[in-house]
Amino acid sequence: MQSTNANKKNTLSWLWLLILTVISTYIGSFLELFNTQKSLFIIIVLFIVFLKGQQIIDIFMELKKAPKLWRRLLFAYVILLPVIIGLIYLL
Amino acid sequence: MNKSLNIDAQTVSVEANKTVEANNTVQAEKRLPGDLAMWFFILAELTVFAVLFIGFAVSEQLNVEMFVQGKAKLHQISGLINTLTLITSSFFVALALTQMHQGNGKQAAKLLVVAKLVACIYISVKIWEYLSLFEQGIDIETNTFFTLYFMITFFHLMHILLGMVILFFVAIKAAKNEYNASNISGFESGASYWHMVDLLWIILFPLIYVI
Repeated sequence: MQSTNANKKNTLSWLWLLILTVISTYIGSFLELFNTQKSLFIIIVLFIVFLKGQQIIDIFMELKKAPKLWRRLLFAYVILLPVIIGLIYLL
Repeated sequence: MNKSLNIDAQTVSVEANKTVEANNTVQAEKRLPGDLAMWFFILAELTVFAVLFIGFAVSEQLNVEMFVQGKAKLHQISGLINTLTLITSSFFVALALTQMHQGNGKQAAKLLVVAKLVACIYISVKIWEYLSLFEQGIDIETNTFFTLYFMITFFHLMHILLGMVILFFVAIKAAKNEYNASNISGFESGASYWHMVDLLWIILFPLIYVI
């Protein structure tokens, strides 16, 4: 039963990651077409990075069940790095 | 009066025991998967890549035109395929870990083999991508964009290869049923390393191919 639940979680997470990847690439193709809204597209793509990172950290790496410190450290990575990259591109 | 005090004391004692048990359960649940050393290694790897990613972003702002032209020469679909394959490979490793938690070593080993086969698609696509750039006369010395492109993606490819070696040994041990519920740390460490490689790619892909 526990195994079935874990497999279900992993499968849903995998599908969500695939969808987010396709969305991210699709949005990227608009960057050249809508140059005026480039900033908005960059923010969305970087936000998707965070959403994908959250899935990998919590579900695949199983850090949701780990001590808070380690989960926070990994979360800091997928939050701070996209923010820093975003600031470099947008400022 | 005394009876009432005794009952109160017993109630408090039972409640205290319950709290201790609850705390122990929480502590048992809050367990870091894998070896602590592996997690420090993962943090070190993530830091190195963070420096490379930030360096790439800064260089792009200093050479906007060169990076726009460079990105136009990259094959975005191959980047997309590689992202999908790495996510799928990570998914199979996660499934393998679930099987290992249930003590199904042989099933876990089979899933790890599937994960590695999917990762082979990534390696093939990456090699094809490099070769097609070489055919266009582009290499690591062409300009700053391609220096960083080759350096970051090749460094990542090396991590994929190392991850595959780790998963190979983990799969052999799993197939021999050398892991069990109380000794699964090695398996978890290998799986965590593989997920880290995936985590790095999901930042690398939009940075180099998309934005």
